[in-house]
Amino acid sequence: MAEIENTPDVEEMKEMADVLLKTGTLLMSAGANTGRVRTTVHRMAEAFGYSIDLQISQRSIWLTMLNDHGASIFTIVRVTPSHIINFRTISGISKMSWSLFEEPWSIHQLRDELQRLEQLPRFPRWLVLTLVGLAGAGFCSLADGSPIELAFTFVASFLGLYVRQEALKGGFNPYVSVYFSAFTASLIAGSASKLGLSDSQNHAYVTSVLFLIPGVPLINSFSDILDGNVQNGVTRGFVGFLISFSIALGILTSALIYQF
Amino acid sequence: MTWLLIILYKSVWGGIAALGFAALFNVPVRSFFHIFLFGGIGVFIKFTLLHFNFNIALSSLAGAVAIGFLSIPAAHYKHTPPLIFYIPAVIPMIPGILAYRMILGLISLTGNPKVATYGATLSETVNYGLKVVFILISLSVGVVIPMLLLRKESVKDIKVPFTRK
Repeated sequence: MAEIENTPDVEEMKEMADVLLKTGTLLMSAGANTGRVRTTVHRMAEAFGYSIDLQISQRSIWLTMLNDHGASIFTIVRVTPSHIINFRTISGISKMSWSLFEEPWSIHQLRDELQRLEQLPRFPRWLVLTLVGLAGAGFCSLADGSPIELAFTFVASFLGLYVRQEALKGGFNPYVSVYFSAFTASLIAGSASKLGLSDSQNHAYVTSVLFLIPGVPLINSFSDILDGNVQNGVTRGFVGFLISFSIALGILTSALIYQF
Repeated sequence: MTWLLIILYKSVWGGIAALGFAALFNVPVRSFFHIFLFGGIGVFIKFTLLHFNFNIALSSLAGAVAIGFLSIPAAHYKHTPPLIFYIPAVIPMIPGILAYRMILGLISLTGNPKVATYGATLSETVNYGLKVVFILISLSVGVVIPMLLLRKESVKDIKVPFTRK
């Protein structure tokens, strides 16, 4: 087989392929479904006049550059960074991919924009903790909890998320972090029942862990399967199942302590 | 009409729960209000249908489909993909209490249950479990049903009235 000559053309192609893969892996780790990754990367390649093939999996993306006859020129792989949901990045990449059709972008501009999107600020920690605490109270209210139970769930979700963030920072496995978090939250909320502030239904105790629900993996799992990306869909579904299982283990540990 | 007031009260909390997830997922600030609104609307539809004795999976499906449809014009209006609206907005409808009861049931079934109550526990657990599974499927499929029905690869290809160019 003949070696690919590193003509300026191929060099440029490699640079483009690198940017495309960077976009794809960034989208994947930010929590986009496989169909979105595929259409966005194809759209970008199209805007630059390249034709490509993609193989997308949970942890890596493969990209093949095709020539005019649809034959492969080269294939490269890039590993997806660990999945941390960031919808602001997804939104930014979507905007960027559409604006490629309105104005010409250079590869360097693309690279700078991706760099910017990768480092977009997150909400301040206190705000996220407060809003997630309120979300916990919301779940409790949806389950017919009383105002006192709502207050307990607020504190439980707030501290539960704090524990999860700290555990992730400390380098714990994500599932173990979820377990710690669920355990903390249910331990705090369960005290409402023990103090006689909750009826036999234990609303606060049950709803305090709901902020951990793996909503993105579960919903993306189904969108992937419906799109025909069955392998990724099954993988995501299993990830969602494992997170749910960790939540269940955490809540059962505190049930053991409280003898519910 | 007190039931309506109770449902409205719950809808507000549903919207707040959606906002919590919005913060967790780091959504663009400009989509906050719509996520709150859609989360509330989903919960409102679900509980209203439940009040009229509809099946819980069907009620959740209706809420999810409504959120899916609303996300399309919102995506146009706010220039952001629809999943940024629909994922946080459907999460408040996830049946946490039922899932908890199912797990409790499974635990007692794996222990050494009394013969007299085994049948009752089994049927309860299966009932809760099936409800959880079907509600989860309804929610996840419900939000993408609009895109499936409109048969377009991207929301940009869908014509939405009254949007600025």
